[in-house]
Amino acid sequence: MANGTVIRVLSTLDPSTPHTFINPNKKIHESQDVSTFLTSKAYIDIMTWVLQLNRSMFPLKAADNTIQTWTLKSDAIQYSAPVRQLQRLLSKLEDIIQEVPPDTGPRRFGNISFRRWTEVVESRASDLLNECLPADLLNRGSPDEGATAGTELKSYFLGSWGSGQRLDYGTGHELSFLAFLGGIWKLNGFPKTDPGVEERAIVVGVIHPYLELVRLLIKTYNLEPAGSHGVWGLDDHSFVPYIFGSAQLSPAINDNDLTPEEGSLLNAPDPAGVANAKVVERERQTNLYFSAIGFIYDVKRGPFWEHSPMLFDISGIRAGWGKINKGMIKMYNAEVLSKFPVVQHFPFGSLFSWDRDPNAPLPPSTVHTTSGPQARPVAPDSGHPSVAATRPMPGAWTQAPWAKPGASTQAVPSMGSTAAPWAGARREGVPGSTPSGATRVPSALQDTSSMRPGPIAPTRAPWSAQLQSSPSQDGNADVHTKAPWAK
Amino acid sequence: MSDLDQAIEQLRGCRLIPESQVRELCYKARELLIEEGNVVSVDAPVTICGDIHGQFHDLMELFRVGGDVPDTNYLFMGDFVDRGFYSLESFLLLLCLKVRYPDRITLIRGNHESRQITTVYGFYDECIRKYGSANVWRYCCEVFDYLALGAIVLGASSTLEPTSNTALSSMPADSELETESLNSRGEVMMSTYRPRQRSSSDASTDSRNISPPRDISAAPGQAAAPSRSGAPGTGASGDGNGSATTSRTGAVLCVHGGLSPLIDSVDKIRLIDRKQEVPHEGAMCDLLWSDPDEIEGWGLSPRGAGFLFGGDIVKQFNHLNGLSLVARAHQLVMEGYKEMFDGGIVTVWSAPNYCYRCGNVAAILELGEDASGGGTVARSNGEYGRSNGIVTDNRVISPGRRYRVFEAAAQDTRGMPAKKPVADYFL
Repeated sequence: MANGTVIRVLSTLDPSTPHTFINPNKKIHESQDVSTFLTSKAYIDIMTWVLQLNRSMFPLKAADNTIQTWTLKSDAIQYSAPVRQLQRLLSKLEDIIQEVPPDTGPRRFGNISFRRWTEVVESRASDLLNECLPADLLNRGSPDEGATAGTELKSYFLGSWGSGQRLDYGTGHELSFLAFLGGIWKLNGFPKTDPGVEERAIVVGVIHPYLELVRLLIKTYNLEPAGSHGVWGLDDHSFVPYIFGSAQLSPAINDNDLTPEEGSLLNAPDPAGVANAKVVERERQTNLYFSAIGFIYDVKRGPFWEHSPMLFDISGIRAGWGKINKGMIKMYNAEVLSKFPVVQHFPFGSLFSWDRDPNAPLPPSTVHTTSGPQARPVAPDSGHPSVAATRPMPGAWTQAPWAKPGASTQAVPSMGSTAAPWAGARREGVPGSTPSGATRVPSALQDTSSMRPGPIAPTRAPWSAQLQSSPSQDGNADVHTKAPWAK
Repeated sequence: MSDLDQAIEQLRGCRLIPESQVRELCYKARELLIEEGNVVSVDAPVTICGDIHGQFHDLMELFRVGGDVPDTNYLFMGDFVDRGFYSLESFLLLLCLKVRYPDRITLIRGNHESRQITTVYGFYDECIRKYGSANVWRYCCEVFDYLALGAIVLGASSTLEPTSNTALSSMPADSELETESLNSRGEVMMSTYRPRQRSSSDASTDSRNISPPRDISAAPGQAAAPSRSGAPGTGASGDGNGSATTSRTGAVLCVHGGLSPLIDSVDKIRLIDRKQEVPHEGAMCDLLWSDPDEIEGWGLSPRGAGFLFGGDIVKQFNHLNGLSLVARAHQLVMEGYKEMFDGGIVTVWSAPNYCYRCGNVAAILELGEDASGGGTVARSNGEYGRSNGIVTDNRVISPGRRYRVFEAAAQDTRGMPAKKPVADYFL
């Protein structure tokens, strides 16, 4: 093992120790809070969980040098009982679509019936979770004090399906589903197995069906991208299939190998295949990356390089799927977890805690997270309006978060140093393209009965995180009509 | 060939001009725009266009359908940038045309012509990607600050000369053509008529949709050679048959978003200090962000900026200002345009198959020149009909409106880029 570091696996709660659950709530109120988030236990846990799942998707090289890949149709992936239960949960949600067909009224972009779908899901959420998760897991904690494990899980579950108010879906919702699964993991809801065995069952058996359900929702109800850099985002709605899908095509490893940073699985499709409809049609059956690309083909018309220039550029990478995988993780860290519009509504409880990670460095005093909505408009001559460059990257830490001695079960993707694998993400002051944006947890908006969805992604003012009151209704122009968000 | 003509030529070919030239162009544009008022006066004939959003090839299609600059006068209601792949090419071309033909093209500001919005919705990313630095983004944002907030179209004709004989023959007696919708081949898809306007006193806003949407291209003798009436942009020419119309065609206010509770007259728009980033609230913000809605009065906007406003607001505003129509953009409409509130406001949307996936068509709105002579044009300075606050019977007639509807440009003409730059995360 390279230099003694170990890959970290998301730690689980000791069932014999009392634990206080917390009703999760919003902590990220302004863009500056994102820096605090990046030093929180929740951030470490999310990144650990993503890396843990990612690692499990690399093809496995057996002792006899035979290679086992983890395709979407692999018979070698065994689904545990909890995984099957989660599949049932997803199929029940899919059934609700039948109950709430899209509205046939005047055509708007986002279909108003999606609001009803989210309401039905919300009304049945407790029952659905009770049916599909063990009672002793959900009921941990003291209901007298209001919060149980189920309270926390339900919060992430409900945040996973897009916004019924805004009729949109983005990577913030995707993140919420990852947290839902990570929460179950922390609560010992998945069986203990050899490294990677249960994780890949989760990716292929739960996350992939989740993504398929989300795509069905997007198509059925014409959900808009939640926040959008237009063509300059990676993808209108999703991110994780590009991480796990590139891992599926990376070089095979054994349990003790470092996570490869370049190269490809033998016979893997050329990354340039994303621009070829036939290749996409073939590969989307077995691979998460191509299944996401295939969905883009389903919904968009026009040259691929034009509507998806980021993905097109990435398709030109010569150094293999391992290189793409490493880049995707860096990008996820910078463009999803570090972006205010995406993470602002993530709720924090005990499973994903706002508490400071003891190993995190103190945030530097000069943090400029100006891409957030609280930021003042950028002065014309003030240089780059964003922040990716000035924000402290985790790579600047003295120790990678998963590299804590003793926390380990799995071997070691050492980078040859203590830097996080995404630590190369310091960039020359470019905000880059965010595949997602203003994700809303449903509870964050109040009465929206009068709201109508705009056209596809009706542009929202980035500073409009909250709508607080109604304007004057009398139409008297002399009344001082302050916008609702004005304090 | 001047540098400017050369730049136009290059941009028409979807090729960017050097950064130094952009800087110079933006400087000249600002000098020009600073002289314009917040509300630009534009004489008919003019073709009014909605959101473009960097869909360059569709902008070329728009010019093909509507006629080229300077043959056709254009008024673009903002949102040139963000979301699409070619915000730079689209905006810089329009800016070049503005500098080259200042009286032939009018550009007003959309909510996306803003620093904060462009950093979120793609234009900033595009500038970095295509020029390698934020310089060009900064030059463009400085131009955004000088764009007018609205325009008033004066002297539009109240009637349309029918495009085709078929439309003419189906016209009810004693009526005149009020609106016409044409496809990109110039074929009439739909017409609406209203009783012939004899004088301003008995003007009626009644309009009957006599002929439902239909494709007359199937009519005998029509398929091969679609007709169109005169040059695009002048298509809605004045009533040329010598009838004694003395109609008073109200002016048309063009603004990107809509109305503001802080603005009850066009003159109040003129008082705004516009040369700044779009504020988070207030009149200037509202003009660029608001949407009409089927409500009464004012409502909260789900966009988090601007307001929703109902038909009563539009009616009152139009009446007090002697306007017959508010033309605005800002909202995707699947059919390309949408009239609301008895024709008091229209949304014009000019980005077909928006974001490569919406499947919508686009439209432009042509207003013809009133050939019956000047003197009856309602000046819209906010004083009209407002002397005692009592509704007068001097109702204004809405202009004849010809919509040209078009679809996304064919894709086969676009070459694939030769090389793929590698994103930083993947170096």
